[in-house]
Amino acid sequence: MTDGAASLRSPVAALVLAWIFPGAGHAYAGQRGKAVLFAVLITGLLVAGFAMGRGTNLLPNEWWFAPQLGAGGPAALLTPLSQYLAVRRPVDWASPVREIGTLYTAIAGLLNLLVMMDAYVLLAYPGEKQERERARETGGKTDDA
Amino acid sequence: MLDALSHFFRSLVSLHNPLWFFYPLLAVIAVVYKATKFDKPKDIALSSIHFFVSVALGMLALGLAFYLVSILF
Repeated sequence: MTDGAASLRSPVAALVLAWIFPGAGHAYAGQRGKAVLFAVLITGLLVAGFAMGRGTNLLPNEWWFAPQLGAGGPAALLTPLSQYLAVRRPVDWASPVREIGTLYTAIAGLLNLLVMMDAYVLLAYPGEKQERERARETGGKTDDA
Repeated sequence: MLDALSHFFRSLVSLHNPLWFFYPLLAVIAVVYKATKFDKPKDIALSSIHFFVSVALGMLALGLAFYLVSILF
């Protein structure tokens, strides 16, 4: 996609779309490959964590819910199901697998925040990333590790 | 000391150790983080592998250090 085409698209729309569904912001910005990669990895991580907690670890009354909400649409969809299952099933609060599953879901949310910011930057500052990569390839100074 | 090290590594490679779940998590973090930094698939793959190995080894070293401290003191 050219910089001209990118400039017609709103960075805020990319940010919101990336929150609604992981990867949708990159699809909107024209990076379909990355969009699929982010959608599969972030949604997969969220669903894997949800399954490891036997569906009982996306609960709004736990502090983990704040980072989990970063995963946006999929997390919002799974929350009512989690609330329903937590009432119906006995929850093993001390299970290490459940705890790691909760960590998976929280990390999925935090990673999606990173992806949302990347989608925003792609459209708000077009060409900056390519310049940084070019500088890295030619041995120039870069600001990231 | 050798017994302690042997116990540490035996428990680490045990199939019942829930720490195995951290490797897929680390792999996803590595790929997503590096995909936001690079555009070319080759760069993403190489830097993700580098990130994965360095963090895994760093965590292993940290775990070993904490384990030895817990035994010695």
